[in-house]
Amino acid sequence: MKHNLTECSDEHMTFLKRRKKRRALIWALRLGLLALLLGVWELVTRVGWADPFLTSSPSRIGATIASLYRDGSLFYHIGVTLAETLAGFAIAVVLGCGVALALWWSDLLREVLEPYIVVLNALPKIALGPLIIIWFGTGSTAIVFMTVLVGIIVCILHMLSAFIATDKNKILLLRSMGATKWQILRKLVIPSSLASFISMLKVAVGMAWIGSIMGEYIVSRAGLGYLIVYGGQVFKLDLVMSATCILCLLAAGMYFLVALLEKAIVKNADR
Amino acid sequence: MKKEILRFSDVTYIYHTVRGETIAAQDLSFSVDEGEFVAIIGPSGCGKTTLLSLAAGLMKPSAGTVESRGSFGYMLQRDELFPWRTIEKNICLPLEIKRQTAPEHRARARELAVKYGLGDFLDSYPGQLSGGMRQRAALIRTLATDPDILLLDEPFSALDYQTRLNVTEDVSEIIRSEQKTALLITHDISEAISLADRVLVLTRRPARVAHTHTLDFEVGNPLKRREQANFSGWFERLWRELNE
Ligand SMILES: Nc1ncnc2c1ncn2[C@@H]1O[C@H](COP(=O)(O)OP(=O)(O)OP(=O)(O)O)[C@@H](O)[C@H]1O
Ligand SMILES: [Mg+2]
Repeated sequence: MKHNLTECSDEHMTFLKRRKKRRALIWALRLGLLALLLGVWELVTRVGWADPFLTSSPSRIGATIASLYRDGSLFYHIGVTLAETLAGFAIAVVLGCGVALALWWSDLLREVLEPYIVVLNALPKIALGPLIIIWFGTGSTAIVFMTVLVGIIVCILHMLSAFIATDKNKILLLRSMGATKWQILRKLVIPSSLASFISMLKVAVGMAWIGSIMGEYIVSRAGLGYLIVYGGQVFKLDLVMSATCILCLLAAGMYFLVALLEKAIVKNADR
Repeated sequence: MKKEILRFSDVTYIYHTVRGETIAAQDLSFSVDEGEFVAIIGPSGCGKTTLLSLAAGLMKPSAGTVESRGSFGYMLQRDELFPWRTIEKNICLPLEIKRQTAPEHRARARELAVKYGLGDFLDSYPGQLSGGMRQRAALIRTLATDPDILLLDEPFSALDYQTRLNVTEDVSEIIRSEQKTALLITHDISEAISLADRVLVLTRRPARVAHTHTLDFEVGNPLKRREQANFSGWFERLWRELNE
């Protein structure tokens, strides 16, 4: 339904105003909370209630990031991790959707593979670390593989359940028109799974970060995960915290992008 | 002399599941003539939907034969319009499926929509239409490929009473003016009486034809029929037969 904004009642105007105010309040409180946390953190390290050697502090994190930036390694490490994460994410999504389609297509295949998928889903992927190193070496390939491994099962399960949940009556309708399985897939199953696809993307983004950082923990020589592990080993907590903070920002950014994509698609889908 | 367009001969259908088997229809026989409007009423769960699926050839009978001449259009209880397609694209869906992509096919579907009051809504999405209009769009989608036989599975039961009377009126007019053969399944006795030329009463599951009645109305219009003197007579009779 479209509403003509110029024609809305006073009451509606006050409602909208109040809503706007509330949004502003919420944002102010969010930022305030962040400032408070950082402030308290800084303070307790300054006055000596906490040892900055163990807890680091906002100013030291800032300094560390600045020095990383100056020696040119900041964007190098970010780039490495980002590339691995995105590659793993893309491969997991594409491959996962492909497998889910195949499983939807063939009941036999689905029933045969079901126990394998369940086991693979339950398996802690990190247990495969040594195998991955032996198979793929210690470069980015191994990490991308780990990322795919962590993400793909979620993609498969999520999309498969969406495909299977397709409205039976709509399938019946298409069959009564003489539709082939391929047509049912293209005209009905795929478009009606769009919403699930987006919610899957949101989960898959998180999984991709888990996969890539986990991968870097085990094998890498570069990347944010590597910085964290290395920082831990040489007891440079500033480095650990800096890399973690950057990671937070990147993960949030990527999630935000997916959310934007969702908004765009949903707006397009049901006007 | 009327030509037969659909014939069930001693049709039996059995559903098999792990828990056991359900005989949905047994030795079911009837036929439908070209241009005829046949309503089928029966107790719930007796096998009415099964019967339509058999007619449309979506399932094969376990025994007996289903013979038909011509193509089918199937209309379900709910409109089942695809929410991501415009009304025009929904109406043209069967054309896409049957690969009748020539412009004259599309033009025919559009014409039907315009003729039956959906002209202004071709670019709207189903969510923007009322229940009655959506059901009308579903009927036009069913008619888009110009099928010979319409199979209607309780197409009005999801609508509220007022809308239902109106849509029944519309649909009856559309089906009669397009001179279609129709097989209507319904729970609603008065709906059957107000629409059909002939009414078949089915038994409880497994479905068989218990009674056949050719209705003796001078008018075809559903609302007018409801006002006729013999309407209540038919109602009582069918109601009794249904509850035998
Ligand atoms: N796919 C199926 N598998 C097993 N049994 C089924 C299946 N579909 C229907 N049945 C059974 O067959 C019988 C007839 O079903 P059908 O849907 O044809 O009845 P109906 O008269 O259309 O019912 P309703 O009045 O509820 O629409 C029912 O008892 C139902 O439980
Ligand atoms: Mg039914």
